Amino acid sequence: MARLHVARYLLGSALTGLWRNRTMTGGAIVTTAIMLITLAGFLAINDTLNQMVTALGRKSNLIAYVRDEARPTQVTAIIDDLRTRPGVGEVQFVSKEDALAIFESRFVDQRDILDVLQSNPLPASVELRLNDPSVVPDLAQELQTMTTVFDDVVVPLDVVEEVIGISNLARVAGSVIIIALTGVTLFVIVNTIRIAVFARRQEIEIMKLVGATDWFVRGPFVAEGAIIGGIGAGIAAIALVVLYAQAAPVVTRIVSFLPVSTDTDFVRNLAVFTLLVGLIVGSLGSYFSVRRYLSV
Amino acid sequence: MIVLQSVTKSYGDVRAVNGVTLAISRGEFAFLMGTNGAGKTTLLRLISREEQPDAGVVLVGGGNTAELTGPSLTRLRRRMGVVYQDTRLLPNATVAENVALPLRVRGMGGATLTSDVKAVLERVRLADKESRFPRELSGGEQRKVAIARAVVANPEILLCDEPTESLSAERAAEIVDLLLDINADGVTTVVATHDTGTVNRLRRRVIHMDDGCVQSDTLVGSAAQPQPANGPG
Repeated sequence: MARLHVARYLLGSALTGLWRNRTMTGGAIVTTAIMLITLAGFLAINDTLNQMVTALGRKSNLIAYVRDEARPTQVTAIIDDLRTRPGVGEVQFVSKEDALAIFESRFVDQRDILDVLQSNPLPASVELRLNDPSVVPDLAQELQTMTTVFDDVVVPLDVVEEVIGISNLARVAGSVIIIALTGVTLFVIVNTIRIAVFARRQEIEIMKLVGATDWFVRGPFVAEGAIIGGIGAGIAAIALVVLYAQAAPVVTRIVSFLPVSTDTDFVRNLAVFTLLVGLIVGSLGSYFSVRRYLSV
Repeated sequence: MIVLQSVTKSYGDVRAVNGVTLAISRGEFAFLMGTNGAGKTTLLRLISREEQPDAGVVLVGGGNTAELTGPSLTRLRRRMGVVYQDTRLLPNATVAENVALPLRVRGMGGATLTSDVKAVLERVRLADKESRFPRELSGGEQRKVAIARAVVANPEILLCDEPTESLSAERAAEIVDLLLDINADGVTTVVATHDTGTVNRLRRRVIHMDDGCVQSDTLVGSAAQPQPANGPG
């Protein structure tokens, strides 16, 4: 019965505390919402940038030209092996006949050149479309050593290196900005709650002096922190979902090369993440803010 | 009930309490007299364990308060009621909510809590102001609310710091009568004051402090005999 009274009191006290300190509560909720919208917005931008870099990486191709005298079984075995390699997307064999057909279709007005020749001069090739541009240099070197099978290996190394550079830079910069922004978000939210708790430090002291346990004092503040964080994060999550739904199609239309995620799971996960961050930071912020005033 | 042995407490270079030894028996009523800065408030804060002595020992109910932490300190606080000089009422809580706080922290609620709060508010004659906020009350009424909060959970010890300060003689007498009434229930009561009028009106023990030291420890108002500095135990 006593526990029920205490639980009811803690929740009631939290709601009463929020209402009676509504200016401070409103400020804390708005601050939390703004910080979380900023963080979630940047996470969405970072996701788009990462997708763009990945898409750029997928454009990295490697072509190995097959010697005419190479045995088909050898080539097939190599193709099968390449398909199992990490970072390798598609592996396609282009026969001499296919190469000729492609040439003819691309250079319709220059077919005279081929008529002069008695035989098909174009080599067969193995074309690799790569998911991860960082595997290109090693793979190219490996194929170049197979001199009995491949005549030449064409690698756009300058492009690959540039893609790898952009990719690494985007990931590092994205991580640094996210860590910094997360830190700033936590700092601002926790300090907003600390100011709210500081304004009520006398209340904490009095509760301790009339015989309240630490847990009893903390309870309403932790509940208040969770409610402030939850409402702030809720506003941020709703704003995020609405803004994303409005902005994604417009951005996709204007900058068609940007792979903006229209996946509803992504936005939903981001909204859930925002809510969790709000609740956890709100509760923990209050928990630690109250602690310093408990040693009465 | 309360024993102080050679207790010293300093704030920086200021020695607020200087080698005080005294004892206050269970159920006793004692005044702590002295001018501002004599060390009365510090002495009360040492008894309620808001402060710890730099030297000496403070025993309450036989236990050394310096050894109390966490749950044992909470238990000590629940045996005491304290009326602070500045009342320390919660500004955003009503009179009833302020008075109910010591019961709430003990896990009480419902009809028992309501009736206990009502009873104590009737005792201090503020039953009609239970829904008011402290800012809506006079200074004397705020003191009464603070006393009601201090005694609502039936403490063994009541410590009051200047409960009649800035009050008219009539209101001060009302407060002192209330404290005597509470003491009559067996609550050990220590009242810090510099109101000589109130002290002289009553035949009670007076511990006179000056410059952090106990100058005298006597019964006044009649043919009182000086008591030893460490008093009855």
